[in-house]
Amino acid sequence: MNLDRVVQECRHAALAAALFAAFIAPSGLDAQQGGTVTGVITTKAPGLKPLRVTMDQRVCGNELPDEAVVVDTTGRLANAVVTLVGVKSPTGATSGGVMNEKCRFAPRVQITRPNAIITTSSKDPILHTTNAAMDGGKGLFNVAVPVPGIKISKPLNGSGLVRLVCNTHPWMRGYIIVTDDMAAITGADGAFTLPNVPAGTYELRVFHVKVTAAPEKVTVTAGQTANVNFELK
Amino acid sequence: MWTEWCARCHALDGSGKMQEPPITVEPLDFTDCTVASAEPDADWQLAITHGGPAVGLSSEMPAFGDTLDADQVQGFVEHIRGFCEEPGWPHGNMNFPRPIFTEKAFPENEFIVLPVMSHRSELGVTRNDVDLVALYERRLGRRGMWEVAVPLSHRSTGGASRGGIGDIELAYKHVLSADAARTRILSAGIEVALPTGSEARGLGKGTPVFEPYLAAGTVVGDTYLQAQTKVELPVDGAQASRAFVYNLYAGRDTSASPDTWTLGIELNGENGELALTPQVRKGLTKTGALGAAFGVRVPLTERREQGTRVVGYLLWEYLDPVRARP
Repeated sequence: MNLDRVVQECRHAALAAALFAAFIAPSGLDAQQGGTVTGVITTKAPGLKPLRVTMDQRVCGNELPDEAVVVDTTGRLANAVVTLVGVKSPTGATSGGVMNEKCRFAPRVQITRPNAIITTSSKDPILHTTNAAMDGGKGLFNVAVPVPGIKISKPLNGSGLVRLVCNTHPWMRGYIIVTDDMAAITGADGAFTLPNVPAGTYELRVFHVKVTAAPEKVTVTAGQTANVNFELK
Repeated sequence: MWTEWCARCHALDGSGKMQEPPITVEPLDFTDCTVASAEPDADWQLAITHGGPAVGLSSEMPAFGDTLDADQVQGFVEHIRGFCEEPGWPHGNMNFPRPIFTEKAFPENEFIVLPVMSHRSELGVTRNDVDLVALYERRLGRRGMWEVAVPLSHRSTGGASRGGIGDIELAYKHVLSADAARTRILSAGIEVALPTGSEARGLGKGTPVFEPYLAAGTVVGDTYLQAQTKVELPVDGAQASRAFVYNLYAGRDTSASPDTWTLGIELNGENGELALTPQVRKGLTKTGALGAAFGVRVPLTERREQGTRVVGYLLWEYLDPVRARP
């Protein structure tokens, strides 16, 4: 191998390394530069009494838990949605599903991206409807879900809060937060985690159907975890 | 399936009246025969397949189009019509779009305003006529309908103009035959024009005129055919002459929705005068309770006497909801 060829190959290797640095490495670098936002959401609002079922008791039972406020004994609140305003989610659901099961929507709260396809189905041998409307009242669709196993898919146009109701079982409620921002839902322990957040300072908003709190500022540092707790009133 | 699905909101008897309704908007009462019979199957099919908003009704009515096929949907339509237990109500499939001149055979509950405008120039004299007829129609029983028509006219010839009320008409129409299987309807009616308009001012005929007529309608393929023949019989033959009036309409919808466009053409005749009236009609709301038509009546014979007229109507089906219910 002569010297010129060695130099040429070294140049190619340097070019390849530069290309790798330019196109491949930054994503890994970003991940390293990203941080995590965690927290716990609590409330002093008490849990609610069970709902009295007025129809289809053979399927629904005589009463159902009122899931409008799901809180444990220490006040940790489930089904709250935390959103990092303006931070686009690199991933996120482009489709969602709603199951009509024992006369309730499952899940009760979910997050999807704008223009996602939502599929509604049922495990109940009775007529349900999935009536979706934007928070302002604009109707999106209302489909009958009359038999178990059926699957009906509809697009969710627009963004924001979509409310689901069942017109044959008035207590049934569901919520879809349509956003392309980073967002998370609290579990039964009231905790949420937003991983891989780019470093910076952001507004953190929380939504819950019954209780509320003002947004908080959060500063995210690469490789670190920022903790933000909310108490909703 | 009615019991398991529909009766949850519409009640077992189809009345829509329930002690603890799960919905907020009370459904239509299907036991009311005017409700259950008046509209075509296509409207009901749309509501069941695509939900209430497709026909301007409540969004609480869900779409069953992902569950039921077309035959099953039609089965529900027929079941709903069956809640009307009185025989003899004409089937809504014979409720065709209203032409501008041809009398509909189907009885209606409507308020209509019909403007007619013409401009003629003869021997250097310009004549502008504007007529506006306000028409109120009301169904009477299963097959009858009465109506009153009040014409307002304005005549302008050269520099002189005059206007006022014309000859008010009272009318009764009765459906003689309504064959749902063949989609054919035949009605007979009589109009009586009272001499309320000033004959001297050219606004009336100066004598009562009896106008018996026949009106018929059917469908061939997707095309509506409607026809009317009428004889005008003045009480005083010296004041006005007899006339034989005949109208023939053909038209078709561009979609099944109540707010569809309907394209049509009429052949209009009165004695030796013949004219063609191409026209469009449009439902102005999702429910179809408001509608408008526009056309131009072009003379084929005796052109100078007839003149070209701009014609149309604005109608309101006043017992139907105009706007979509939430």
